[in-house]
Amino acid sequence: MFTTRRGLLIGAAALAAAGCTETSAKIIESDDDLTAALRRARTLAQAADSLGYPDIAEDHLTHAATLERLLLPSTVGEESGAEQSIADAAALAEAEAEASGEARESCLTTTGDYAVLFGEIAASRAAHAAVIA
Amino acid sequence: MTVVDTGLAGEYAAIYAYGAVAVHLSGAPRDLAEALEAEHRERRDALLDFYDEHGLEAVHAEAAYDIEPIGDAATAQALLLDVEERLTTTWRAGVASEDPAEREICLNMFMASATALARWRVVLGEPTAVPWPGRPSE
Repeated sequence: MFTTRRGLLIGAAALAAAGCTETSAKIIESDDDLTAALRRARTLAQAADSLGYPDIAEDHLTHAATLERLLLPSTVGEESGAEQSIADAAALAEAEAEASGEARESCLTTTGDYAVLFGEIAASRAAHAAVIA
Repeated sequence: MTVVDTGLAGEYAAIYAYGAVAVHLSGAPRDLAEALEAEHRERRDALLDFYDEHGLEAVHAEAAYDIEPIGDAATAQALLLDVEERLTTTWRAGVASEDPAEREICLNMFMASATALARWRVVLGEPTAVPWPGRPSE
């Protein structure tokens, strides 16, 4: 229980250790969700970069790199053009929020191994939407 | 103690911290602190609703929490940022739950917490982009 700041620190650290996301590539049920998340990450990265949000673009590229590794040996080809509909900051914030919702749904429906991964992506995208808006 | 218990205890501590130190802030940080204190109260209430809906007994708040003496705005901001970072880590851990209801409430809290953290970083002029919110440092 958080009776002190130290207690809060210890409790948080213990729970964090319990929820580490060393994901396993053995789980295959989530491949569709992983692929969708990867495509979204690539689209958002291109849009964020083109609109002058390089740090946010970097977050999406980090997500994409992780998702690509998890999908191996399968590969997902690059798509182009989707980011063109994201023409300004408001549209980017909306796209981030929508993509956050998709990752949230994946988190709630996936097996435990990927739940934290999708949750992290959902939370990161939600934070992007909040700071862009 | 469940992960939701720990998170609720963290929300109680956050409400106490905001109430104790926001007085040292002014301008945008003060506005954000007041907004986030209200949001933590809403999250506490949502968590208590969760306990009621599932027939569970909620942990209670402590009468007081031991926080370091706050002498200026910088210390107050650092404390509140620290509180948000630790809460984000706590709620992230709960997302690993195999219980669907528990995972959903933890995910909702995790997303709200990560967003609060980003809002603090904007106000403090710090980089806001974090690919893996709440993930412990390696």
